[in-house]
Amino acid sequence: MELRALFVIVIAAIFINNFVLIRFLGICPYMGVSKQLDSAIGMGLAVIFVMTLASFATWLAYYFLLAPTANNLFYHIFRLSCPPDLTFLRTIVFILVIATLVQFVEMVIQKTSPALYRALGIYLPLITTNCAILGVTVLNVDEAYNLIESLVQGAAAGVGFTLALVLMAGLREKLETADIPEALKGTPIAFIMAALMSIAFLGFAGLSI
Amino acid sequence: MSLWYEFSKGIYKENPIFRLVLGMCPTLAVTTSVQNAIGMGIATTFVLFSSNLLISIIKNAVPKRIRIPMYIVVIASFVTIADLVMAAYEPALHKSLGIFVPLIVVNCIILGRAEAFAGKNRVLPSILDGLGMGIGFTLALLALGLVREILGNGTIYGYPVLGSGYNPMLIMILPPGAFLILGLYLGFFNWLDRKRKVS
Amino acid sequence: MNKIIRLPVILCTTTIIAAGALAIVNNLTKPRIDAQKKAALQAALTQVLPRAKEGVIVPVKRSGKLEYYVGYARKDTTNKVGYIFIARGKGYSSTIETLVGINTAGIIEGIKVLHQLETPGLGAKIVEIRHGEQKPWFQVQFIGKRKDDLTVDKDGGTIQSITGATISSRALTNSIRQAIEELEKKIGGFAKVDNRVKPDGKNGIPCITGATVPSLSPVRSTGKASSDR
Repeated sequence: MELRALFVIVIAAIFINNFVLIRFLGICPYMGVSKQLDSAIGMGLAVIFVMTLASFATWLAYYFLLAPTANNLFYHIFRLSCPPDLTFLRTIVFILVIATLVQFVEMVIQKTSPALYRALGIYLPLITTNCAILGVTVLNVDEAYNLIESLVQGAAAGVGFTLALVLMAGLREKLETADIPEALKGTPIAFIMAALMSIAFLGFAGLSI
Repeated sequence: MSLWYEFSKGIYKENPIFRLVLGMCPTLAVTTSVQNAIGMGIATTFVLFSSNLLISIIKNAVPKRIRIPMYIVVIASFVTIADLVMAAYEPALHKSLGIFVPLIVVNCIILGRAEAFAGKNRVLPSILDGLGMGIGFTLALLALGLVREILGNGTIYGYPVLGSGYNPMLIMILPPGAFLILGLYLGFFNWLDRKRKVS
Repeated sequence: MNKIIRLPVILCTTTIIAAGALAIVNNLTKPRIDAQKKAALQAALTQVLPRAKEGVIVPVKRSGKLEYYVGYARKDTTNKVGYIFIARGKGYSSTIETLVGINTAGIIEGIKVLHQLETPGLGAKIVEIRHGEQKPWFQVQFIGKRKDDLTVDKDGGTIQSITGATISSRALTNSIRQAIEELEKKIGGFAKVDNRVKPDGKNGIPCITGATVPSLSPVRSTGKASSDR
């Protein structure tokens, strides 16, 4: 049963509610980094990595620092009479956690694996303001997922993002030579193509899992 | 560089959506109806205005190296205020905008204006810039929301305008409609530009 | 001061000031947000069980989890008029959550969809209010029905399904039917008499307290419509 629930989360995050094409999260990098296949793959890997880590870190922050649960650390440290409800700080804490995490990951990769740094390094700073990252962490909390489910949703959302990005990059490389009206060249035609891809992804809504 | 220019540039010349192509996520996600578009527009304008105001005041006290995290803290605070106030006074709207209320934090327009404008200019131009950009954003959302709601639902702000015989083009309020209409709008503005340059 | 220490200190101070400011705003808006939520819940509850409007609606919990509500027509909890529960069913693209009010004889008094993310224009018509009408037409059909009436027309029942959205219609209908079955087990069956006719104050059903409720699982339907698309 547990495994089945996780499988549903994976399929939903990648196909049925694809983060880019159905949920509209991470549109800016989707349009900005989809001009070449190589950079699309690099960005996608960086996003998968950070999303999974961010899901983990924000889940801990939410349930051990902010939410009024018996595990709340402030409740234990200051010996309060009842667990404090600090959930109103969610947005600010999550964005700071993500920003710190991205910085940290960048430093670690730079020190430990120069090859990986060359591949992902330039995409990491862009990720802090990628709304898909904050989006997935907020969704994890909104849907009251447990730690495992949050991690799975984080990774799957990253895969969904990468899938949309790589598909788009492949199409846009071909588009370079296509004959399209002058006014539609560049971003407008990319959006119209995204519309067509979105129609295709709507078809997944009928999957019965 | 007049003050009027700082205010008005965001509305057409540097419209954040149609010209700068920033802040796409809320633009596509919440424009299923005019009502949502207005709600999101007002919330974003509030955040833009307040963060531009505060950042232009504190800009000299902020060390250069940590300015971005500082800006993010300021923006996140105003977003939370908007979130709480909306939940208290407009619960239905708050529910229908969903996670896109907290996600105003990562709307590139806001951090973009803080970094490119409010961090370098004085208070008055900064708040005018924030207001102008906010209004430009709201108008663009409205333009999208209007087309999508009329075609996709046959209504404007919930009131039927196309009569009961109209069979709505569902696709317009589904995700593909958002991409399509935005793409066509961007193409239209490109076309206008090109025409102007030729003549 | 050393720069390595100074910068984080400035950042932390800013964050603490921001958190303090937000705490103030939170304290100002919290009572109102809570009141809004409470009012919305109360409105939804009385909407599905209108006769409890003058009385009280008491939640029945089991190990902290809400099982169902019992509605009384009087404040002193003497005149039981019915039960309210939440039915959940997997629709086309979301789990549809419906609040259902049912009287002591097992006849539906009102339903209200609490949560759905079905396809706009198709499945989402389960909450559509036609222009000039007050209530969603699809949900109005359920009022006055018993458990056995609850199947959609395509399955030979009495609920008129939405054109092009049989899965959503069927999911909602089946989830309510199954939730009623669950409720029946928990309360030990419905009364034989329809107490809408003779509201005499006592209706013969043994009073249910939280401790004696047998089943624990929330009223959840697993019945996803099998095929038909």
